[in-house]
Parts: sequence; structure tokens; C-alpha cells
Amino acid sequence: MTGAEQRPVRPRERVTAPEAAISLPGAGVGPTDIGTIYVRSLVRSQLRLAIASAAGFVVLLAGFGASFVLVPDLGSLLVLGVPVSWLMLGFGGYPLVIGIAVIYVRAARRNEAGYLALSDGARRESEGDPT
Amino acid sequence: MNPVLGYVAIALVTAATALIGFFGLRFSRTTGDFYVASRTVKPWWNASAIGGEYLSAASFLGIAGLILLQGSDALWFPIGYTAGYLMLLLFVAAPLRRSGAYTIPDFTQARLESTTVRRITSLLVIVIGWLYIVPQLQGAALTVRITTGLPPWAGAVAVAVIVGVVVAAGGMRSITFVQAFQFWLKLTAIAVPVVFMLLVVSDVPSLDPLVAFPAELAPSTPDIYRTVSLLVALLLGTLGLPHVLARFYTNPDGVAARTTTLIVLALLSVFYVFPTIIGLLGRAVAPDLAEPAAADALVLLLPGRLVPGVLGDVLTALVIAGAFGAFLSTSTGLVVSLAGVISQEAFGGSVRGFRIAAALSIVVPLAVSLLAAPGGLAGSVGLVFAFTASTLCPVLVLGIWWRGLTARGAVAGMLTGGAACGLAIVAGAMVGPGAGVVSSVLAQPAAWTVPLAVAVMVGVSLTDSRHIPRGTDRFMRRLHVPERPGIPAP
Repeated sequence: MTGAEQRPVRPRERVTAPEAAISLPGAGVGPTDIGTIYVRSLVRSQLRLAIASAAGFVVLLAGFGASFVLVPDLGSLLVLGVPVSWLMLGFGGYPLVIGIAVIYVRAARRNEAGYLALSDGARRESEGDPT
Repeated sequence: MNPVLGYVAIALVTAATALIGFFGLRFSRTTGDFYVASRTVKPWWNASAIGGEYLSAASFLGIAGLILLQGSDALWFPIGYTAGYLMLLLFVAAPLRRSGAYTIPDFTQARLESTTVRRITSLLVIVIGWLYIVPQLQGAALTVRITTGLPPWAGAVAVAVIVGVVVAAGGMRSITFVQAFQFWLKLTAIAVPVVFMLLVVSDVPSLDPLVAFPAELAPSTPDIYRTVSLLVALLLGTLGLPHVLARFYTNPDGVAARTTTLIVLALLSVFYVFPTIIGLLGRAVAPDLAEPAAADALVLLLPGRLVPGVLGDVLTALVIAGAFGAFLSTSTGLVVSLAGVISQEAFGGSVRGFRIAAALSIVVPLAVSLLAAPGGLAGSVGLVFAFTASTLCPVLVLGIWWRGLTARGAVAGMLTGGAACGLAIVAGAMVGPGAGVVSSVLAQPAAWTVPLAVAVMVGVSLTDSRHIPRGTDRFMRRLHVPERPGIPAP
């Protein structure tokens, strides 16, 4: 028995996408199925990547905050009549956010390409399998 | 201030919004069109639309006002509002698009196979949406009062009527164009006056920098708990904002959802430079506005003060138009997503039901905004973020990444987080700012209510592991498996 047969019939089904188009052709959905194992490993690597990126951002932001306390000169040095620490906090965070986002998007795409290559390889090995 | 400027600016923005809204009407024909623009919107359009929808009264008026009022603490707001989209990119954007659901309740129901979860999520979405619309209408009341001299209720009622009519008539297809237009309007309306103000500011008498940027309000002396808690709220609250999430369903696939978010980050980063500059300028040249009742009007008043003559009038009209655009666009976005949820819960998802639901979505917050005393715009919106971060954010993130989540765990976590955060905010308002640590912990609760909600959600799910939904593996696959090139996403 597969998950497909057990899926409860819901009246609101029409507002979600048709599932058949999303699940991989030929792949089952049991917990020990090779496809499921690949998916779980994809989820793990994407989650690791997301957490590492978020942690990186938090550490950099905390460093930002700490620098104002540790380097008091940032508060007394004026540029265009405004203390440098105010300018850094007001305008310095954005390049950081965008930099991390760009790195993350590339790495996430690489993870997905790796998954597709793996599952295509697995499918070719089981060619002729009617399921 | 010359009231004609206010009338002209508000009339022009309203006319442009309505024209674009009705022009888009031609394209909406089916229920699907109304809900998510048939998911064929290109990343640049979509990103502009997300920016247009996200930049609310809090961003356009509130940030500059708060910098004037509170000094460098307020500088964390725009960076937090932007970084919220980074978290959304990391944890939610692509999987949520791949889920194929139209609304957050659709997502939680499909993921956890429970109608109870669906109802509670719907209720939270509706409450959050209403709470978020209130400061928009209060911003409109402030703007109309200051610029035209009309009584405050006129502004709130005007925005409510325009939003209700546009949403009920056009649905989301036209809203996408409206929102994209609104982003560029807001950016122009704040960037152009800033450029002119910077050109003339050296001729204007300004405070000594040591007085304008005093050490006790500088970034080197933060209230660490408050800053951390605010950032938790802003970073994680964005993840659960109903109007923001609805926008992601209009991406063609998961990869496009990520591209869109990346563009949004760039657009927001550019935008927030300008209210920050106005806030810093205000500290130097307009210290008389630094009181709670007037600070949120800084963006509206400063161009006319610094730039003389007709040019000053034109710039003032421009910022009024931008501010009004901000109230209109955020409110329309919220009303569209609320109407989607309410119409599915109560009216079976028909187009006529959507129109009735749209009216309901705007009338309730209008009543609240007319009855409640306005607080600072950036601060009130910050509290909505704290509530969202304590309720919808945990269920979305755990639902996407942890296969052990169960319906019972989700319900327990959402109710605990919502109750703790809601009670803390109410208690904090009663205690007031005078009680030291207790005031901070109550008034800025996200730092403890978010971990609490997550802990309850995980704890209850672990004791309930027999009830992990049977379709979990299949659904996780749907969320995370990339679309194949050449095969269009459903």
C-alpha cells in the first residue's frame, strides 16, 4: 500500500497543485525507498546550508554591535557631521545581507543539481522497472 | 502646509492605483486568477510587487520618526525589516512555492492533514492581518490630518474605501501591477526629496553633532535584551506575514521564488537608505519635531522646511503621494490575503464570497483604528512581527524542515506562542516603561516567546510521534525536490 492510496479525499483539494506532476515518475514513497532516502539527504543538506547562512549573518551582525562598544572612536569620529557608528549601523548592514543571500542561492542550487544527478542515475539503473 | 498639495497628491495616487487595478481586471476571469494571478508573474515584477506591498506606513514614515525620537536604537528596524527577507529566503521561499498551496492555512492543512490546524492557522492569519492593517490606517489618518487639515478619520475611511473597492473589483492579478507600481512610486517619492534636501542642507542652521547625535543614544550603549528581542521579532516575523507569503505563490517555480527574494533584498536595501537619511537629517535640523505626537510626520514635513518655494511644495506633494501609496499598497496586500482565507473558510472560495470577505477584511481594522489611540507606527508594526514570529513562523519552519511535526504539536505551539506573546504585550502596555527589566521583557517579548512556542511544538510532537501524518514523506518530497528544467511546475 502506498501513500497515494491512503491520501484522504479533501473537499479543498482543488486549491492545491496536482500532485502527480510533482512526484518523480517511477519512484515510490515508502520510508526505505531509495528515492525517499535521497530526498531526506537533500533536505538535510539544504537545512544545514540555511542554518549555516543564518548563523553567519547573526555572527556578523553581533560583531557589528560589538564593534561599537569595543572601538569607542567610531562614536566620536564624524563624517559629514554624523558619527561613524551611526552611519555604520544605518547603512552598513545591507551589503552583508545581500552578500549572504547571493552565496546561499548559489549553494542551494548546487545542492539541488546534485540531487537531480543522483536520482537520474538511480532511475537509469532501475530502467525497465514498471512501478 | 498648503492643503491643496495634500488633496492633489492623494487624488493622483488614488487615480493611478484605481486605473492600474481596473486595467488588470481584463486578465482576471477565473477563481484561480483572483487568488494568485495564475502564478505566471516574472521575478522582477513579483519582487517589485513584494517591495510595494511590504513597505508600509512603518517603513515610509515610522523609521525616520523613530530615529528622530529614539536615536540609534531605531536604526535596527530597517536592517531587521530587510534581514527578515534573508530568513525568508533561507528557510521558506522555495519550499513554500513548491508546496503548491495558496494560503498559509492551505499549507498547514496539507502538511499536517488536519482541519483543526487549518482553522487555528486561519484564525491567526486573520488576527495578524487585522492588527497589521490598523497602523496603516492610523498612518493615513495622521497624513491626511497634517497635510489637509481634515479630521483624522477621513484619512482612515478614504484608504479603507479605496482598498475595498480595488480588491473586490480586481483580485490579485491587477494587484500585482498595482503593487509593483507602488514600489517605484514610494522609492521615487522618498529618494528625490532626499537628494534635494542633501543639496541644500549645508545652508540650513543645524545642531552641533554632539547634541544631535548624543552619546547616550549612540549604538555603543544598546539595551542588549531589547535589541536582541526586536531583531528576533523582525527577522522571524517576516516569515509568517500573510500578505508576503501569498506573493510567493505567484512565482512560476521554486528557483524563481529564490531569485525573486534576492531582488527583493536589493530593492529594500536601496529603499531603506532614504528614510534613514531623513531620520538623521531630522535629528540635526528639526529637533522640535522630536515628540511622540509629531515624529511620525517628519518625512512629510522636512522637505517643505528645508527646500524653499515651489520646489519645496512639489517635493512635499511627492512625499505625501508616497506615504499614501504605502498605506494603500500594504492594506490592499493584506486585504487580498485575508479575503482569500476568510472566503475559503466561510464562503466556499467563490468569487462572490471573495468580494464579501474583502469588505470584512477592511471594515474590522477600520473600526479598531478609529477607536484605538495611535501608537508610534514603527513600534506597533514591530509588535505584530513579534506575534507572527511566535505563532506562524514556528509552524512554517518546522513544517518545512522537520518531518516529526504533528498536528497536536503545531496546535499546542501556536496557541502557547500566541497566548504568551499577546498577554505579554497587553501586560507590558499596562505596566508601562518604568519597571526596568520587567518592562523590557513584556514590551519586547519575542526573545522568549519564540523559543517557548518552538519548544512546545517540538515537545508535544515528540510525545505524539504515533500521529506523524502518513503523507509526510511524500509532502517533504514535494517541498524540497527541485523542478526539472523544461517541465513546467504545476
